[in-house]
Order: sequence, then structure tokens, then C-alpha cells
Amino acid sequence: MNVHELNPKKTLGVLIVLVIVVIIGFLTMKPSRYDYKLNVNQSIQLLKDTSEINFYPYELVDVLNHKNKNVVLIDLRNKYAFGRGHIPGALSIPSFDLTHKKNLRLLKDYKKNGLTVVLYSNNQLSADGPWFFFRQIGFNNVRVLLGGYNYFLKHKNNLAATRSDNSYIKGIERFNYAKVSKSSDKSFELNQNNKPKPVIFKRRKREAVAAGGC
Amino acid sequence: MNRNYYILTAIMLILAIGTVFIHERKYTSELPASELLWDILQPSRFVTTDQVAKRIIEKDPSLLLIDVRPASEYNKFSLPNAVNVPFDSIETATGQQYFGNPGTKVVLFGDDGILANRVWILLRRLDLKNNYVMRGGLNEWIETIIQPKRPKQTDPEISFEQYNFRRAARLYFTGAKVVTGNMKKEKVVFKKRKRAAVAAGGC
Repeated sequence: MNVHELNPKKTLGVLIVLVIVVIIGFLTMKPSRYDYKLNVNQSIQLLKDTSEINFYPYELVDVLNHKNKNVVLIDLRNKYAFGRGHIPGALSIPSFDLTHKKNLRLLKDYKKNGLTVVLYSNNQLSADGPWFFFRQIGFNNVRVLLGGYNYFLKHKNNLAATRSDNSYIKGIERFNYAKVSKSSDKSFELNQNNKPKPVIFKRRKREAVAAGGC
Repeated sequence: MNRNYYILTAIMLILAIGTVFIHERKYTSELPASELLWDILQPSRFVTTDQVAKRIIEKDPSLLLIDVRPASEYNKFSLPNAVNVPFDSIETATGQQYFGNPGTKVVLFGDDGILANRVWILLRRLDLKNNYVMRGGLNEWIETIIQPKRPKQTDPEISFEQYNFRRAARLYFTGAKVVTGNMKKEKVVFKKRKRAAVAAGGC
């Protein structure tokens, strides 16, 4: 005789509770709030076209003059740095809070309304990672500010003039690598102007041995 | 007695039908999107040009340098022993063989570190570990290792040590030019001293 058959009612009760727990688990399982929309290959293709992803500092002029109202600036630095100074009109969302429910909903609203979201941080590199992440999870209205806040702070008063400046553009050679890395620089030469000299032994003259005496 | 088995069968059927309505979830080898942003925000993947130079000079066998620039630029110049994997071929079979091997540390570099950083993000998404990014890329490499600047007199001692290391590293990577001059064999002339008469004086 099986153990279950001794007390069928109790076994049934336990089974039903178990099944209810499993069903509740399945029902409350939610899909994650965001997932990749681009696969790796599509993301690589995205990197080839830089005109869509960069936001140049001189484009800020129209934003600051309220001519271009389709742009939302988002400051990814921490609240303290934001409090000390930021681009006028920017919204502060520290990068660690970007995927909070509230902020994600905000970004989705911006996307729905056709607004361009420009991320910036101290430099381009620290805003670049979050930018690439948002592109991969399907926010195709996100761009990154070249040069970052540091560049903006330096050229705050002549932003329009930065059109001809290329010091903030990344991904270009600033040196002719091969030429610079050749050894032609004389300042590092060893053995400068050291002509070998013949070796001359000089013997000191000895006084005549035992010239004097005791 | 058989009633229990009927009930059990019914429950199993209900559960089986229930699975049809579960949200579809993809199970791939990719890192979940929720973890990717967290990893992107950690700065631990960045290494400095000094650290890379030191590893190259020490001939660290676990170091694998990967140039993410296009092949045309790689052919002009690259770091010693670097392998070229252009950023658009990281997912191909030739690119994949370099990443995720246990015991190797892959250092990615490009012109500025922006492209290398993006490649790192894609590799992290493919759940490949032990990848690093050389901060500043080749431009910083030239600025710090090939053309190091002498620190100011008021700078701390550690920047002088760094400068000395960079100067030595520069000689290693560019090859020092040694001026030898006109080396001729010179005869070494010994002059024999005249001996004084033995015991000229004496007791």
C-alpha cells in the first residue's frame, strides 16, 4: 500500500496548495521593462553612420535661444555636480538612475512626442556608454553631446564659433603615428659627442730610489 | 482510489495549458539588458597607457592587444604585436576567436577610446569577460609614451618617476639611436720608466 493512499484528503490538500503557488508565480511574472531592440549586428551598423548619433556643441545655440524646441538635454552627472552648474534648461538624471521606472517612462514619452534627447556628462566618453545602451534598447531619438560639459563650459560664450573647431571631435588621428614613433628625436640620443679618446697612462715620476738614506 | 490519479492528471493538463499563455522570453547567451547598463557605468575596464606599456615591456604572455580601427589604418601603424579586429567584424568567426579565452586579458584600443569603449559594450553584451579599454587610445599613447612632457619643478615626485618610466619606455618603443662616432683602435703606448741605478745611495 502506498503512503498517499493512507490519507488521500491530506495529500490532495497539499497538492492543491502547491499548484496554486505555481500558478500565482506564473501570473505575477512580468516581462522585464526593457529589452534589446537592436541585435549586435544592427548595433554595429549603427556605429558606421555618425551623423545620426552626434550632437555638436554649435547645435546648442538654437536650443539655448529656444529656437529649437525639439531637444531635451539630460545631465548624467551626479546631483552635486548638477547643482554647481549645468547647461541651461537641462534635466538632471544621474546615470545610475536612468532605468528607474519613472525616468524610463519619461524617456518613452519624449520618444512618443518626437523629441530628441541629448545626453551629456563631463566628457563624451562618460555619456557615450549610456547613449549606446539606450540605442540598443530601442530609443532611436537619443544622441550624445560631443565634447561634453567641460567643452561647453570653456566655449560658453562663443558656441557658434565652435563650428570650425575640431578639438572635440573623437575618432581622428591627432598625430601621424608612424612618423612620430620613429626614432629621429635627437634629444634622446645616447652618448652625445663623446669621441673616444686614446688612453694615455701617465706614470708619476718617481724619485730616485733611495736617493737619500738613513 | 483511482480518483486521485484523475485529479492529478487534470491538474497537470491545466498547468500544461497554462504554459501556452506565459510571456515569451528569449533565452540567449546575451547579458540581460538590465545588467548591461550597470556594467557600462563601472570604470574598472579602463587601463592607462602606462599600464599597457609596462605590460608590453614585461612581455606579459596573457596580454592581447586588439586594434579596433579599420585595416587600412592598422597597416600604417599599430602597437607592437597588436591584432587587427575592425569594429564591424567582432561578431564574425575570425573576430570571435580572440575574445573570451580564459587566461588572456584583451586590451582594446582605437584612436580615442570612444570606439574601443563601444566595442567593449558589445562584447559585454555577448557576455564576454576579461576585456579592457585603453583610455585615450593611440592619441594618448603618442602624447604620454612617445612624446612625454617633462613635469614642472613643483610637481610631486611620483610624476617625475612616471616621466622617467615614460622616457625609458619611449626608448623601448622607438629604438634608441646610439651615436658611436669614429671608433679607431688606438695604440696604447707604455712608456718604460727609466730605472734609477740600483742602490745608488744606501747605507
